[in-house]
Amino acid sequence: MIYLDNAATTRPDGSAFARAASFANECFYNPSARYGGGFSAAAALNEARGSLLSRIADAAKYELVFTSGGTESDNFAIFSAARRGNAVTTAGEHAAVERPFSELKNRGVEVRIAPVNRDGSADAAALLSLVDEKTALVSVMHVNNETGAVNDISAIARAVKAKNPRCVVHSDGVQAFGKLPFRMTNEIDLYSLSAHKIGGIKGVGALVKRRTLALSPLLCGGGQEGTLRSGTENLLGALDFAYAAEGVFASLSSRFERVRALQARLWGELDANLFTRISPENGSPYILTVAAAGTRGEVIQRMLWEMGVAVGTGSACSSKKPYSRVLEACGYGKELLGGVLRFSFSAKNTEEEIVEAARLANEAVREFQQKV
Amino acid sequence: MEKVIIIRYSEIHLKGKNRGYFERVFHVNLEKSLKGLRHELHRLSGRWLVEKFEAGMEEEIAERISRVFGVHSYSVGLLVGSGMDDIFEGVRRVAPSAGTFKVETHRAYKNYPLTSMEVSAQIGGRLLSERPALQVDVHEPQSTVYIDIRENGRALVFGSFEAGVGGMPVGTSGKGLLMISGGIDSPVAGYMMAKRGMQVELLHFHSYPYTNEGAKQKVIALAEQLSRYTLVTRLTTVSVTHIQEEIHAKCAAELNVTLLRRFMFRIAERFARQNEMKCLVTGESLGQVASQTIEGLTSSNAVVTLPVLRPLIGFDKDEIIERAKKIGTYETSVLPFEDCCTVFLPEFPATRPKLAFIEEEERKLDVEALVEEAMGTAETIEF
Repeated sequence: MIYLDNAATTRPDGSAFARAASFANECFYNPSARYGGGFSAAAALNEARGSLLSRIADAAKYELVFTSGGTESDNFAIFSAARRGNAVTTAGEHAAVERPFSELKNRGVEVRIAPVNRDGSADAAALLSLVDEKTALVSVMHVNNETGAVNDISAIARAVKAKNPRCVVHSDGVQAFGKLPFRMTNEIDLYSLSAHKIGGIKGVGALVKRRTLALSPLLCGGGQEGTLRSGTENLLGALDFAYAAEGVFASLSSRFERVRALQARLWGELDANLFTRISPENGSPYILTVAAAGTRGEVIQRMLWEMGVAVGTGSACSSKKPYSRVLEACGYGKELLGGVLRFSFSAKNTEEEIVEAARLANEAVREFQQKV
Repeated sequence: MEKVIIIRYSEIHLKGKNRGYFERVFHVNLEKSLKGLRHELHRLSGRWLVEKFEAGMEEEIAERISRVFGVHSYSVGLLVGSGMDDIFEGVRRVAPSAGTFKVETHRAYKNYPLTSMEVSAQIGGRLLSERPALQVDVHEPQSTVYIDIRENGRALVFGSFEAGVGGMPVGTSGKGLLMISGGIDSPVAGYMMAKRGMQVELLHFHSYPYTNEGAKQKVIALAEQLSRYTLVTRLTTVSVTHIQEEIHAKCAAELNVTLLRRFMFRIAERFARQNEMKCLVTGESLGQVASQTIEGLTSSNAVVTLPVLRPLIGFDKDEIIERAKKIGTYETSVLPFEDCCTVFLPEFPATRPKLAFIEEEERKLDVEALVEEAMGTAETIEF
């Protein structure tokens, strides 16, 4: 199996998992317990917390709250920060941001949505024009999960704060963390992370927050995570997340370069007569989204699966909602929207795999065109 | 005194000399539906009794019984001795403590020392003297206590009748083949044929990779839900991918669906004949979609000689949906997995295809070879 759907999830880092499992298996105590075992568990949890936080932000200014994943982190950030006035986001966001914004509307918050550029990046000028003194929250994703376009969230955050210093700025960093070199600048208040996109297990994520920002919890109960996220801590998941991050950050720039070469190679090998590039040239190298005009991405995806290649797609073969909301917002027409394929990489992919995947993708599209 | 469930059946009494056969099948079906639960099933004249089940299981058993075709009604009740004191003990358990009531007695054991009227009067009287908030009303009582005096010194006491699904025991009307699509209609069609006693086997067409794995899982889920009524726990799938590709490549686009349906009917008939099924069943309803016009139905019928039963033919969509909800298949049916990929759907399908034109277009295909090839893709899933 040639696995090129790493933006959906990654193969778990086996050694990180083994390390985490062996500890959590021995030290199974409730981190809230007031005896030796509990303290050991809490200490390990906080070590994982510190380790993860150090990858991305200054621990003096930021803190990290463990959650059940990117979706919870996004929901937590949005529902906490936007309670009145208006909230601004972009048309390129993942459903974990887009849906909570829809819900905000029901809760009486005015929602303003900035358009995206053709590559899926936020139209920063338009976004800024939507921000005013009543804006409570701006949420802009870091890397677009459908196209790989990168938003300069530091610059956007700075400009937002210049206009309204009290506005909270959130970014969904799920497709950026552990992939792009990045550290949080002072203007960004909240940043969402997910473990399983970097070799961790599913069901763990985190929200990085500026220490001085007060949030109200989504889940109330035993008061774990400094009362911000109740529920007995997922020690196994947190450790696994930290260990997996340790691995990717140790070689972040060499992985970045390697994946950039793989992405370029794949684009070079795909038949230019069949595929149109959707991903920008200067986006995240971890994602290459293309479209084969007049085909159905979902069908090509299944043909490729039968040939031994797993890829993502931008559309579902459904008569009700046939095209990707985000790519429609990018301004693509039906011809291309139907035939979107997303290749997403891991540093573990080999060049041979890439060449083979491209050959098979070319073959699948030709076969489709011939038959349909 | 023991909790029991009393089952009464419908229509079987109409069956004259075949009655024994119908009762045997009904018995087998009841046993199938109670599989996995400890119980004993005994026949009394004209009814069955579920006895010796674990305490607290009566609701689960009643729920299962309520889905067995041929059940006219059932009651959860008590099996007691037939002495008046025993009967009264049972009545005290099922009778209300206030409101209006009456006692209705039936004697299967005609040598019982009291008449039905006398039993009702005495038991009612004892109940009244014990529960002053009760009042007798023989015309429109709020509740009724039923006493059924059986042979061998036993009696049944119960407080209500629950309606069963009716119909006839599955398997007493032969075997048919339902073409099940994953939509709302076909499971309902299968249900209706099973209600009339047909053993409904299932055939599903897919066009992987144009359709997805989810569509197949959805059909399996539907088949499972349907099996609670039909008791059939297998499903055969056949791939029509190559057929769709061939039609698409060689024939007029507006006939796409018409031609595909003719292939499906041919394959279904072949499969049915190989497996001793006596008819095809579909969920078609007249005029619902382009392929279900009378011309569309005619063009499909023209390629088969087995009867094609369409129990929903005169139903509105609303009526079908209402039934699907009752059966419990609706929620699954509306899951967003396409069973027929939009890739091959023509923009303007022919609604009144002429048979001559259809046949002319079909001559461009090697029909026999394509049917044979599709038959080779048949896979049977047991669940």
